[in-house]
Amino acid sequence: MDVVVGGLFVYAGVLKVLDPVQFGLDIDNYKILPWFFSVRLAFFLPWLEMLCGLALIFRFLYRGGLSVLTALIVVFIGATVAARARGLDITCGCFGHASQHWSFAQHLAIDLGIFCALAVLLGIELIRGAGHDQENQEWLSAVFAKEKSEDG
Amino acid sequence: MKFVAVRSSFSKATAARQALILIALACLPAIGQGFYLRDRVSWESPIPASELVTVDQARAWGQGAIWVDARPDDEFARDHVPGAFSLNEDHWNDLFAKFLPNWSPDKRIVVYCSAESCNAAGEVAKRLRDEAQLQHVFVLQGGWEEWQRKVKGDK
Repeated sequence: MDVVVGGLFVYAGVLKVLDPVQFGLDIDNYKILPWFFSVRLAFFLPWLEMLCGLALIFRFLYRGGLSVLTALIVVFIGATVAARARGLDITCGCFGHASQHWSFAQHLAIDLGIFCALAVLLGIELIRGAGHDQENQEWLSAVFAKEKSEDG
Repeated sequence: MKFVAVRSSFSKATAARQALILIALACLPAIGQGFYLRDRVSWESPIPASELVTVDQARAWGQGAIWVDARPDDEFARDHVPGAFSLNEDHWNDLFAKFLPNWSPDKRIVVYCSAESCNAAGEVAKRLRDEAQLQHVFVLQGGWEEWQRKVKGDK
């Protein structure tokens, strides 16, 4: 599942890297940031998406990639809902101009689907991490007990 | 006490550190791409200054200008620049077919939407340039709001 989700973000990132100006216009459409920041984010975010997607696929800097992507999708969902509440007619921008004709409901459904997938991966990673913590705790206890008996 | 090597466990600090590394790594190609495209991007405004025109400039063109209203149909129906053609992305094909016979290569096209903050005029201007291959396409600075302000100010 991490390969699929990671691959999706790599694909989305590549589409936006090919036309950063259009992505800047899509960010500007949300009317949250001034153009000065929108255009610069438009150059930065696709590369971050791609790197985090690759982190998921190759399990390198995995937890960092997962955290960043989860944070990005949460911010993106919030911005989409806020734009809709303000009556703005926006294009998603999430898959470059390929997603320009998606309705609001389609945007939200896909974003929530991606968020759920990331939440599942994050949950699995947290459980795995807790399992390692438990193992470490037991291992440390055994080592300290052994040292104490040797010193004693 | 002997030195004890501790296997690292996953933690919030690890995730944060990895996230910072990814963010720093992403900056490199982003800066490189921005530098490569620096002359092709309008860094200060979504519409390059060369494609913007003020109300006074556009009005000075007189009959040499053809006005295009990029707002939705209902807003155009309520009021618009006298003689303007409605051309929005909702009904592009139909509206463009009505607009094109009135265009000639010597005319300057002035596209406007509701205000400075709306993007519709920029989108329509882009389509006129890229898809229709029309030249001398400009976006009205301040949009319909600025037009009304100027016209009321003149009265």
